[in-house]
Amino acid sequence: MDGRPLFLEPRLEPRLRSLVAATGTLHSLIDALGSPLHMVVPDQIAENLERFRSVYRAHHLSGQVFYAHKANRSSALLRRLAATDAGVDVASLGELQHALGAGFSADRIIATGPKNPEFLWLAARAGVTVGVDGVAELDQLGALVRKHALAPVRVLLRLSGFETSGVRVLSRRSRFGTPVRELEALLEAVERHGDAVEATGAAFHLDTTSVAEKATALEGCLAALEACRSRGLRPRAVDVGGGFGVSYLAEREQWEAYTTALTDAVLGRRPPLAWGGHGYGLRNESGTLRGALGLYPAHRPVAGAAYLDELLAQPAASLGGRPLAGLLLEHLYDLHTEPGRALLDQCGLTLAKVLEVREQENGTENGGELLVRLAAKADDIALEDHGVLMDPVVVPRSGAGPGEGPVAVHLFGSLCLETDLITRRTVFLPRRPVPGDLLAFANTAGYAMDFHATRAQHQPAARKVAAWQDGDGWRWCLDDQFWPITPSGGAQ
Amino acid sequence: MRYDSITEAIGNTPLVRLDPAVHGLRNIDLFAKLEMLNPWGSVKDRAAWSMAGPLLSEAVEHGSQVVELSSGNTAKALAVVAGMHGLGFKSVTNRMRVPEIKDLLLLLGAEIEELPGQSECLDPTATDDPLTLFHRTLSASGSAYLHTDQYFNPRNTEAHLTGTGPEIVKDLDGRVPDWFVACVGTAGSSTGVARALREEDPSVRVVGLVAAKSDFIPGIRTIDEVQEVGLFDPETYDTMESVSADEAIEGMLTLNRRCGILGGPTGGAAYFGAVRHLRALDEELNERRTAVFIVCDRVESYLSYVRQRRPDLLGRPARKNTLADLTEAEVSGAPSVTVADARRWIDSDRPLVVDLRSPFAYAALHIDGSVNIVDELFAELLRGGLPFSRSRPVLLACPVGEQSARYAALLTRMGHAEVRSLTGGIIAWRDAGAPLVRD
Ligand SMILES: Cc1ncc(COP(=O)(O)O)c(C=O)c1O
Repeated sequence: MDGRPLFLEPRLEPRLRSLVAATGTLHSLIDALGSPLHMVVPDQIAENLERFRSVYRAHHLSGQVFYAHKANRSSALLRRLAATDAGVDVASLGELQHALGAGFSADRIIATGPKNPEFLWLAARAGVTVGVDGVAELDQLGALVRKHALAPVRVLLRLSGFETSGVRVLSRRSRFGTPVRELEALLEAVERHGDAVEATGAAFHLDTTSVAEKATALEGCLAALEACRSRGLRPRAVDVGGGFGVSYLAEREQWEAYTTALTDAVLGRRPPLAWGGHGYGLRNESGTLRGALGLYPAHRPVAGAAYLDELLAQPAASLGGRPLAGLLLEHLYDLHTEPGRALLDQCGLTLAKVLEVREQENGTENGGELLVRLAAKADDIALEDHGVLMDPVVVPRSGAGPGEGPVAVHLFGSLCLETDLITRRTVFLPRRPVPGDLLAFANTAGYAMDFHATRAQHQPAARKVAAWQDGDGWRWCLDDQFWPITPSGGAQ
Repeated sequence: MRYDSITEAIGNTPLVRLDPAVHGLRNIDLFAKLEMLNPWGSVKDRAAWSMAGPLLSEAVEHGSQVVELSSGNTAKALAVVAGMHGLGFKSVTNRMRVPEIKDLLLLLGAEIEELPGQSECLDPTATDDPLTLFHRTLSASGSAYLHTDQYFNPRNTEAHLTGTGPEIVKDLDGRVPDWFVACVGTAGSSTGVARALREEDPSVRVVGLVAAKSDFIPGIRTIDEVQEVGLFDPETYDTMESVSADEAIEGMLTLNRRCGILGGPTGGAAYFGAVRHLRALDEELNERRTAVFIVCDRVESYLSYVRQRRPDLLGRPARKNTLADLTEAEVSGAPSVTVADARRWIDSDRPLVVDLRSPFAYAALHIDGSVNIVDELFAELLRGGLPFSRSRPVLLACPVGEQSARYAALLTRMGHAEVRSLTGGIIAWRDAGAPLVRD
C-alpha cells in the first residue's frame, strides 16, 4: 500500500457540493475580496436545526435548540437562525449584543460560560436565562438584581462531577459547573436569592464523545431536579449542552486506511505521513505503540442530531431502566440542547489561493513531496488545530486542469514561520495544482473559521461572505450585509 | 478428580473434535480447545493465576490492591484470585461495553473505573491521555498496587507456553496441529501456544484473528489496537485476518446450536475465522490434517451484546392482547377526551384515572386520585385480560396522549365500553393549568 495516495475526502452534502462546483463564482469572489476567504451558507443552518427538531418531535419533546454562538462569529448565520424558532447560547457580552441585534428576543437566549459583570448585567437586564456555574455566581447575580431593581432572573443550574453507581467513570476535570456533591449548598443559595432568581432547570456540558458519560449526566440532572422539587421549586428543563459532533469525511474506509497507515508510519514500517515524522500523539516505544491519537474522529457513524437521538435512547439505570427521552417526557421537562459544531455542519468553507508550487531541494528525503504555498495563514484554516484531518478540494483556475495523476504535497501559509504549516500531514491531491488554483477547505464553519484568526504581520484575516442558491446559480453578499429578507433573486 | 484449591482446576481443558458435517472440511480435523471450561470461565484464568500467583504472599503482606486494565475475563479471574486472598481488585478500562460483565465484576467485589471518552473539542497538543495518567499513578505509588500488566507481562505468555500449548500436543498424541488459530487480545494465548507448538514442529502455521477495524468484538483488538500490546509481535503469526462482529456471532451460533459448545463471541470469531481460512486449503488436500482453535469463554455473559446486534436471535412469538395487534385505524379511532371535558368527567363520573408513566415521574407530579400502572406492567396485565370491571369508567393518561390512545384502542377491542385517552396527556393537563399534586 506504500506508494498509494491516502485520500481523506470531505463529506459534501448537496449544498456545499454545489458551491464547490461553482468554479466561476468562487474565482471571481477571490479576485474581488482576496485570499483567504470564508464563505458561510446560512440556509444550511436552518436545515440542520430542522434535523434536531425532528429528533425532538420523534420523542415528543419540547424545549429549545440553542445555537452555541462561540463556534462562529458570522452575522449571516445568526440572523438566519433568528428567522427560525431556534435559540442562541451566548458566552460573552459581545455575543449577547450580537444576538439581541440579530433579532433574538430574550426568551430565546441563554447566557453561559465565564461572565464578567457587564455581561451579567445585560443578561439580567434583558431578561435572558443565565446558566449559573456556582454559588458565587448566584450571589453576584442576586446582588446585581437587587441593586439595580431588576426583575427576577431565570437561571439554569450547571452541574458537573456526575457519579455513576457501581462503576466510576474517570471524567476529565471540568472547570465549569457545580459538582453534584455540592448540590445542597447550591440549592440553599437559590432559596436565599429567591427574590432575585428563579431556578428553571439543570444543565451540563461535558467535553466528551462518549454517549454513556452524557447519559450519566442527564440522569444526574433528573435526580437534581427531583431534589429541587422536594424543596418546593418548580424546575421545568434539562439542558444537555453541546458536543454532538460532526462526521467530516465521506468514507469510513479512507479514515480507517489512513489511521492504520499512521500507526505503521509511527512504528517505522512505512515512510512518515507528516512533516518531521509527527505522529499526532502516537509514539514508538521499542516497537510498541504508546500515547493516544490526538485526532478528531473524522469519520463518525453517529453524529449531530443522530447522536442526540442515541443519547435520548439510553436507558437510565437508576430510574428503572427507561430510556432518557421517555423520562424527560414523563416528568414534563423541556429538553434544551446547545449544539455548536453540529449545527454548523456543512455550513461553510474556506478558500485559499495557490501562490507557488515547488519541488523540495532534497526531494528524495520526503518522498518527492511538493511544497504548496497558499495565500492564507494557518490560523485562517484551523482544521488541524482541532485535530480534523481532511483534504481540500482543488478548484482549478481554468477548466478541469491537466490530467496527470495524484501528487503528495505539504500545504504551508504566508507567514515566515516554520510552524505556519496549514497541514502537518502530507496531503494527497488528485492532481498537481498550479498557481492561481483555489483550494477549498470544506466544513470549516464550526470553530475552524475565525476562532483562532489573527492579523499577525499585517496579513489580513480572512473576509467572510454569505452565499445562497438562486436557481442553478449562487448569489452572495458580505456576511454583515445578510439579513433573512435579503432577496434571493431579482432586483434588491 | 479431587482438589485442595479451585486454582488447581485451572488448565487441562478438553480438546474436542468438531463434527465435519457442521464445518464441512473434508480433509482437516478441526479441534476446539475449550478454555471456557476453566473454573472462572475463560482462557484468562491461566494468565491471571500465572501473573498474580507468585506475587500474592507479598501483596497480602502489604495489603496491596490488585489492578489491571481489563475489559472482562482477566478482571473476572483476578477479582476471584484477589478475593480468595483477602485483597481488593480494581479494573480500569474503557473497553467494557457489555453490561452483564460489569455487573458480574461488581458482584465479585471488583471496583471498576472507566476511562472517559475522547474529548469532543480536542486539544491536539495535550499529552496527558488517561492511560498515561494511570500508569503514572501506578508507578508513583510504589507497592500499594499489584499491577499484573497483562499486555506486557511475559508470565501471561508463559502460562500458555507451559500449559495450553503442551496440552494441545499431548491430546493430539504428541503431534503438533498443522494450523493453530487464535484471536488476539493481549496476544498472550496465541503467542504462548504458537511458541510451544513451534518448538515441537516449526512447520505449524499460526493464524491470528483481529476484529474488523470499525467493529467491536469483546476481548479482541483491531489491527491498530494490537500495536499497543507489548506482547504482540507480528512475527508470531503467519497471517493476520480480521473478523466482523456479525461473523463472530454467526460462528458463535454454530458452536452453540450445532456443536453443543456454549462459547462466546470470541470463540465464535475463532471458529468462523478458522473455517474461512481453511476451506480453500482443504480442497487442495488429499491427506488428513489437523487444526486447533481456542474457545475463549462462555456465551452467557454476552446476551446484551447479542440483543443489540441481533435482536432477532432473542425474538419471542407474538402474544395475545398486545399493542402490536392494533391497526392504525383502531388507534386513530380510539376514544379520547380533552382536558376540559376530562375534568368535568372526573367530577361527575369519578372514572379510574390510570397514569402510565414511570413511578419516578408519577411521584414527582400527578393528577390527584390517579393510580400509577407503568405502561410495561399494564401491557403484561392486559395479556391476562381486563384488570378492572367493564362497568368502571377509565381515563388513561401518558405524557402526550399517544401511548394512552393505543391502550384505549386495545381496551376497547377487549370489550371495555367506557375507556378514554386523555388528549395531549399530562403535558396538556399541565399547560391548561389543571392541578397536579405530589402526595
Ligand atoms: C473473550 C476473550 N477472547 C479472547 C481473548 C484473546 O486472548 P489473548 O489475550 O490471550 O490474545 C481475550 C482476551 O482479551 C478475551 O477476553
